[in-house]
Amino acid sequence: MSVEQPVITSAPHPVNIRKMLDGVGNTTSKFTIEGKMAMIGLLIFVMMAIFAPFFAMYPPGKITGESLEPPGSAHLLGTDELGMDIWAQICYGARTSLVIGLAVATIAGFGGGILGILAGYQGGSIDQVLMRVIDVTMSLPSFPLLIVISAFLGPSIFTVIIILVLFSWAKPARIARSQTLAIRSQAYITAARHYGANPWYVIRKHILPEILPILIVSLIGISSYAIIAEAGLAFLGLGDPTSKSWGMMMNYAIRFSAIYFTPYWLWWLIPPLIALIALLLCLAFLSRDLERVLDPKLRALEGVK
Amino acid sequence: MTLLQIEDLKCHYITDTGAVKAVDGISFGLERGEILGIVGESGSGKTTIALSIMGVLPANAQCSGTIRYDGTELSSLPEHEKDTFRWNDIAIVFQNSLEVLNPVMTVGMQVCEPMVSHKGLSIREARKKCAELFSRVGLDTVWMDAYPHQLSGGMRQRALLAMALSCGPEVLILDEVTSSLDAFARKELQEMLLDLQGGQGYSMIVISHDITFVSSIASRMIVLYAGKVMETGPTQDVIRSPRHPYTRGLINSTPDIFIYKDMWGIPGESPTGEHHAGCPFGARCTQSIDVCRQVSPQLTACGDGREIACHRGGIATLMAAKSIEFSYHLPDRRSVRAVDGVDLDVGEGEVLAIVGQTGSGKSTLAHVLAGVIHPDSGEVSFMDGKVHGGNNGHGFGGIQIVFQDPFSATSNRFTVLDAVREPLDINDIGNQEEQLDMTKNALELVRLPSSDLFLSKYCSELSGGQRQRVALARAMIMRPKLLIADEITSALDVSTAANTLRLLKGLQNRRGFAMIYISHDLSLTLKIADRIAVMKSGRIVEVGNAHDVMLAPYDEYTKQLVGSRIGFCCHSHHNKKT
Amino acid sequence: MLEKDTREFIARFLITLFVILAINFFLPRMMPGEPFSTTSSSVQGEDVIVLTEEQRMYYRDYYGLDRPVHVQFATYLENLATGDLGKSIYYKMPVREVIGIHLPWTMFIVFSATILSTILGIALGTLSARNRRKRSDRLMMSGLIACAEIPSFLLGLILLLLFSVHLKIFPLAGAVTPFAHYGSLLDQAGDIVYHAFLPVLTLCFAQLTIVYLLTRNTLITVTTKDYIRTARAKGLGEHVVWTRHALRNALLPVVTRTGFAIGMLMGGVVLVESVFSYPGIGMTLQTAVISRDYPLIQGILLVVAVSILLCNLVVDQIYRRLDPRVVV
Repeated sequence: MSVEQPVITSAPHPVNIRKMLDGVGNTTSKFTIEGKMAMIGLLIFVMMAIFAPFFAMYPPGKITGESLEPPGSAHLLGTDELGMDIWAQICYGARTSLVIGLAVATIAGFGGGILGILAGYQGGSIDQVLMRVIDVTMSLPSFPLLIVISAFLGPSIFTVIIILVLFSWAKPARIARSQTLAIRSQAYITAARHYGANPWYVIRKHILPEILPILIVSLIGISSYAIIAEAGLAFLGLGDPTSKSWGMMMNYAIRFSAIYFTPYWLWWLIPPLIALIALLLCLAFLSRDLERVLDPKLRALEGVK
Repeated sequence: MTLLQIEDLKCHYITDTGAVKAVDGISFGLERGEILGIVGESGSGKTTIALSIMGVLPANAQCSGTIRYDGTELSSLPEHEKDTFRWNDIAIVFQNSLEVLNPVMTVGMQVCEPMVSHKGLSIREARKKCAELFSRVGLDTVWMDAYPHQLSGGMRQRALLAMALSCGPEVLILDEVTSSLDAFARKELQEMLLDLQGGQGYSMIVISHDITFVSSIASRMIVLYAGKVMETGPTQDVIRSPRHPYTRGLINSTPDIFIYKDMWGIPGESPTGEHHAGCPFGARCTQSIDVCRQVSPQLTACGDGREIACHRGGIATLMAAKSIEFSYHLPDRRSVRAVDGVDLDVGEGEVLAIVGQTGSGKSTLAHVLAGVIHPDSGEVSFMDGKVHGGNNGHGFGGIQIVFQDPFSATSNRFTVLDAVREPLDINDIGNQEEQLDMTKNALELVRLPSSDLFLSKYCSELSGGQRQRVALARAMIMRPKLLIADEITSALDVSTAANTLRLLKGLQNRRGFAMIYISHDLSLTLKIADRIAVMKSGRIVEVGNAHDVMLAPYDEYTKQLVGSRIGFCCHSHHNKKT
Repeated sequence: MLEKDTREFIARFLITLFVILAINFFLPRMMPGEPFSTTSSSVQGEDVIVLTEEQRMYYRDYYGLDRPVHVQFATYLENLATGDLGKSIYYKMPVREVIGIHLPWTMFIVFSATILSTILGIALGTLSARNRRKRSDRLMMSGLIACAEIPSFLLGLILLLLFSVHLKIFPLAGAVTPFAHYGSLLDQAGDIVYHAFLPVLTLCFAQLTIVYLLTRNTLITVTTKDYIRTARAKGLGEHVVWTRHALRNALLPVVTRTGFAIGMLMGGVVLVESVFSYPGIGMTLQTAVISRDYPLIQGILLVVAVSILLCNLVVDQIYRRLDPRVVV
């Protein structure tokens, strides 16, 4: 008569939404003033993006006014060379930036994170291979390659997202891997496995909760990077002309031959510039505060890099 | 003449959670050519003292008090003037930590650095001197060009010593220098330091928690606890007969001072730097009185070059017997002198063993001391009053006895409950419920069950060992200050005896009562006794520190007694024919 | 026999190089359609490049498009080995020459910015470490941190708009004033600096905060170390303790970081040059991309990637020799 080895798998418990919200509330309350302002700023941008049709009075792609009108009652921020409303372009541009930022961050962050956890947990050849790939990816000069690849593959948001993901998955993967390694070597993991816990249990119960906070912080970093990269590419003229991104706006403005000798840059060039900077600063301060609040845990694991 | 004088040094660290007191009013002096030892556990403030003498406390430390070197007041000097004294006159050998030396400079450079800076030597001259120093401390000169991480812990410690000696200071401070050393290295260091003192005339302050090491080189010792001095004195005196309860506890906790004695720790925890009024050791002290909780004791001289900080003047004498005489009168008009002029005293919390052979009179003496028998002459005083008033067993905090034969120590007809609460019953202490409670507590103390089932068992149903423990519980229920244990294990078999004895000693350590342990078994007493008194034919022939009496007796009889051991042990001094 | 670490490093270097070469090689071949067949490409209304038949023949031959892939790759590597990077479509010169003209300008501003940001960063970081608790320090730190979060090209744009457009202090474009005649070498140098000032400043800001924070934090950590206490106890004097013991340990990671900084700056220099219309390799890349000048694109990419990798290799080796704890 064989003896069944008891396998510990706790009954799947529903994700406690209440607890999560409480946790979020708890964390945000510890923010500094800058952090709270950053959260509000970010929310404003998100609102702007989602409700763009309501905020903007005109659709961005249509010619709705005279060319190069200064800011006034009809057009909040004036119009550009073609007569399209700038304020509308700003509102819709928020969509581009946020979508790209979110998409790249989620895919690269979680994808990379999962890869890192798997590699760190399994070890062996999978780990070795992943390490090499991460090393090579991280030593590639990203921006020049970004320019060249997007130039060759043509501009489209889809392509840009894919390329950016390829360049930014390595960092979260590395972080996830090193944390997984650190946790796996702890005695309580050995104990759990001795009791019969399977890898999924260990990852779910022990590794994920530890890694998630750090991953979320790095997610914000990735989205910042993605937004900057997209804006940079668009600024150089490599962006998707159909998407109303702030970078494209700046590119058009710069390519207007007399831009620096006329006052037009004041309402054509400055708004997208400021919008970009504002969004990036919000993300930056948010990330800083999050990192600080999660710090005790981070500091405990910091020794292993 | 006093080379270094510290007066009323007080230091505290300012942390996020408030001010933490490290040193709380310490004063001492270092004479020229002497080695002074400062011992204490972690948190006692020893390293802070060293750092404040050198003036290198961290930024969040604040100090007050004076530090006088050769007459000059150091603590109030500006930094650059302090620099002229540093290393030149006073040098410190730090504890060997991972980064005590600059990792990007060679060891040789770091040793030469102060020589170049203070003595104005050229690099070449400094390197030559460095090589000499290296060979003096036993380091190969090839390591001069190595980096700190390439040296082992012991080698780094020697390099630190060489570095400290480089400018020929008058005073050497050694801070926990043995913590990374093995036994061989420790011995070598000890010899090196003694040689430095004797041959070169260095004065040293040795700071350590390693009492064994300190006692092997220091001529004078200071014991620190929670930032205050508890006791000072000549090393040998302090170790052999400590006056402060903390010192005694420390020595009992160190296994390699008295190597045959069992190791027992001090109950309780060290204070964590919060401020309390009163003696810092008060919470763990077993002889504390009310004032101990209110006022901090001052360090006062108590003779023989010793000082003590205790409201009770150190370990207080609990019982003192003078010129006790007692004779048994036989039916045929003959009398046997059982006790023939005995002077004895027992201190608070101490274990005194009275060792002698059958007929030496030890049991009789015990009974006299307990007040059960009235001596023919002489008197016994216990705490404030005299003993033979006979009522010292009547209440709490008195004297209790545990007898040899467990079967006659407890009545067959009594239940366990009745037996244990008998003294309470006799003296009308507490009502039924309270007595039951106290009985249960006492039984728990001696690790017997306190269930109702057990309480209702008759003593006749119990084994010898259990009955002895019941007797012990009965004695403990009265919370004695002095327990007299008269051959309590000789009627028990070996493992029961071992268990009982460990139980008893554990109780004694935790509760802090004094114990007179009477036995004919030497090895046993060596394990638990602080002092041993050897008795022969009614007289005490030798009394003193347990190890001294057993390992280096001066009395003939004692020597014979010791020599009569037939154990398996291979130590030569036991088998030596004296 | 080289140390294991160095061997690994070189292996990684070679693999990365190979990946770049492969990307370089395969990209144009992945484009839909033949790369040199279209003679009209309207890229946002930019210049239309028309290839003459002769040119087309040249490129077909150079790229060996009619031969099998592995032969093409071999040819490619062979060409590289001899330093033949092909001929630029747009400039109608050998790629090597084009790069040779523009690369020095980029090197100039990148190196200047690196040196400037390192010196300034170390100075500010040291100051900050010493005045840790003061209010002014905290303000400076927040300011610098906020600065670092703004991408360099946006910062450059702000500087351009403020100083060149609005205040008209600095020029709008170029590395030198066009058609200028210089009285002396000093004048020429002055002109160069005048044009390079804002780009260098922009690049400098990009790295400044990192160097500053690194210096500051390393110094703060170092001052709590035991060997600083030992040095103080030896009575060596505050100055010696600070320089010989504290700085020497703290600056180690900072100095090596400088090397990596060069690499990072090379990555972002494209955008900055674009903002200031500075004729370095970045602008050249932009022009090449817009005009689909494949040989030039590949050439620039190669040069940039190789120089970054070389920088990292050199820095790694220097660090090993500076820190005695690392086994060389």
